[in-house]
Amino acid sequence: MNILLICAAGMSTSLLVTKMQEAAKERGMEATIWAVSADEAKDHFDRADVVLIGPQIRYKFAALKKEGEARGIPVDVINPADYGRVNGAGVLDFALRLKK
Amino acid sequence: MDRFIRMLEDRVMPVAGRIAEQRHLQAIRDGIILSMPLLIIGSLFLIVGFLPIPGYNEWMAKWFGEHWLDKLLYPVGATFDIMALVVSFGVAYRLAEKYKVDALSAGAISLAAFLLATPYQVPFTPEGAKETIMVSGGIPVQWVGSKGLFVAMILAIVSTEIYRKIIQKNIVIKLPDGVPPAVARSFVALIPGAAVLVVVWVARLILEMTPFESFHNIVSVLLNKPLSVLGGSVFGAIVAVLLVQLLWSTGLHGAAIVGGVMGPIWLSLMDENRMVFQQNPNAELPNVITQQFFDLWIYIGGSGATLALALTMMLRARSRQLKSLGRLAIAPGIFNINEPITFGMPIVMNPLLIIPFILVPVVLVVVSYAAMATGLVAKPSGVAVPWTTPIVISGYLATGGKISGSILQIVNFFIAFAIYYPFFSIWDRQKAAEEQADPTISSGAGATHSL
Repeated sequence: MNILLICAAGMSTSLLVTKMQEAAKERGMEATIWAVSADEAKDHFDRADVVLIGPQIRYKFAALKKEGEARGIPVDVINPADYGRVNGAGVLDFALRLKK
Repeated sequence: MDRFIRMLEDRVMPVAGRIAEQRHLQAIRDGIILSMPLLIIGSLFLIVGFLPIPGYNEWMAKWFGEHWLDKLLYPVGATFDIMALVVSFGVAYRLAEKYKVDALSAGAISLAAFLLATPYQVPFTPEGAKETIMVSGGIPVQWVGSKGLFVAMILAIVSTEIYRKIIQKNIVIKLPDGVPPAVARSFVALIPGAAVLVVVWVARLILEMTPFESFHNIVSVLLNKPLSVLGGSVFGAIVAVLLVQLLWSTGLHGAAIVGGVMGPIWLSLMDENRMVFQQNPNAELPNVITQQFFDLWIYIGGSGATLALALTMMLRARSRQLKSLGRLAIAPGIFNINEPITFGMPIVMNPLLIIPFILVPVVLVVVSYAAMATGLVAKPSGVAVPWTTPIVISGYLATGGKISGSILQIVNFFIAFAIYYPFFSIWDRQKAAEEQADPTISSGAGATHSL
């Protein structure tokens, strides 16, 4: 399971990455989770199974969704409340639901 | 207040989205980012060159010879002074990427177009002479640095537009199969590249017959000066900050959107200061409003200056939710990242907390501007300190080692605290009451309020 997170500079999402990795580890899940800035995002799509974007750049959602559709990867915006609380487990569940 | 929120969603968001998605602005923003690491590296040498330690100059001269400073500043020249070259390539590259045409070729062609628009003349004062003469045969550092930014950006866009139109119309030289792709690609760029260069060449020949003489003069008269006056004024700064905060209030990354438009202006104002500072670190610097002004003195803890809020939450919150959020938000907040607060408290779409969130940065702009313009506090020296640097340190470094820069940051921190505190108390009481009424609200989950 490869989960790509995208935000403006890849900084605040990297906080979330740490929490999601913890959550994945607790469940004994094999997951690669990483965060990049919106500018570099496209180069990372090919390695991802699910792409999640920070709510602060949801104006890029349409463009990124198109990138995802071209490759058959689900793309969605992270729930702002989960994002703010850095709710790793919640966002991981969200990613798993999207993948299905 | 709910009407205000609805107005933000209906009016501000779509416009902001369109601006942020506008591909030329995006290319400019992404292209400029290419120069940032270089500027930060150059700044390190600048800081070492002007450490405010008594006797430092003499000590360095004793160990490294009397030209130590000139030699130390070589990397500054190779980073700051080629800003326009880097941006010329970067903007064209990013724009071509968006059109899905060969970005590397587009970057190279743009670079050539920029240099073609730049007269190869360097001012030179012979020893003993009083007047400066122009010598040909050199690339003028003056125009390939920050002063050439606008010409570089405009030509990058024009040249890439010509390039991609010709490619998309398929007017290219095609080589037979079996030719290596790398070779074939360079032939593909031949016709569009020639078209770009001929256009710029003819334009330059025509310009040379006018009183403007060059692209650079035209742009500095028509664009650079008016934009700098607008972007460098306290009024312009307040408008910019208001926009950033309004966008963040709806949950959009305001700094990234406004920065796309204002970034080039703030960057060239910053470099004007750097050039004066490098000549004489004690000279009066020309500009207050620069990129650093916003990053380091206004957005303490992130957009909205929320570091004070995070600390208050951690120490004073009665509600469990806010207390745990404060603990979570304080570490990223020290490095000026505040999404946990904006989305977690939340401030976004929250009529109560949007008030101080907009008010605080505006007050800080006024206070900081007044303090710097009157000379009470040192102005940003043009040193590019990364925006993630914690306060006190960043204020000291960005002013070229003046303690007043740090003091102003601390003052701003307390101003932010004073304005946030009453609003924080109301929100905290509300949250604490919710928790009492519904004990199932745990500290980690819940909090879907007004989202």
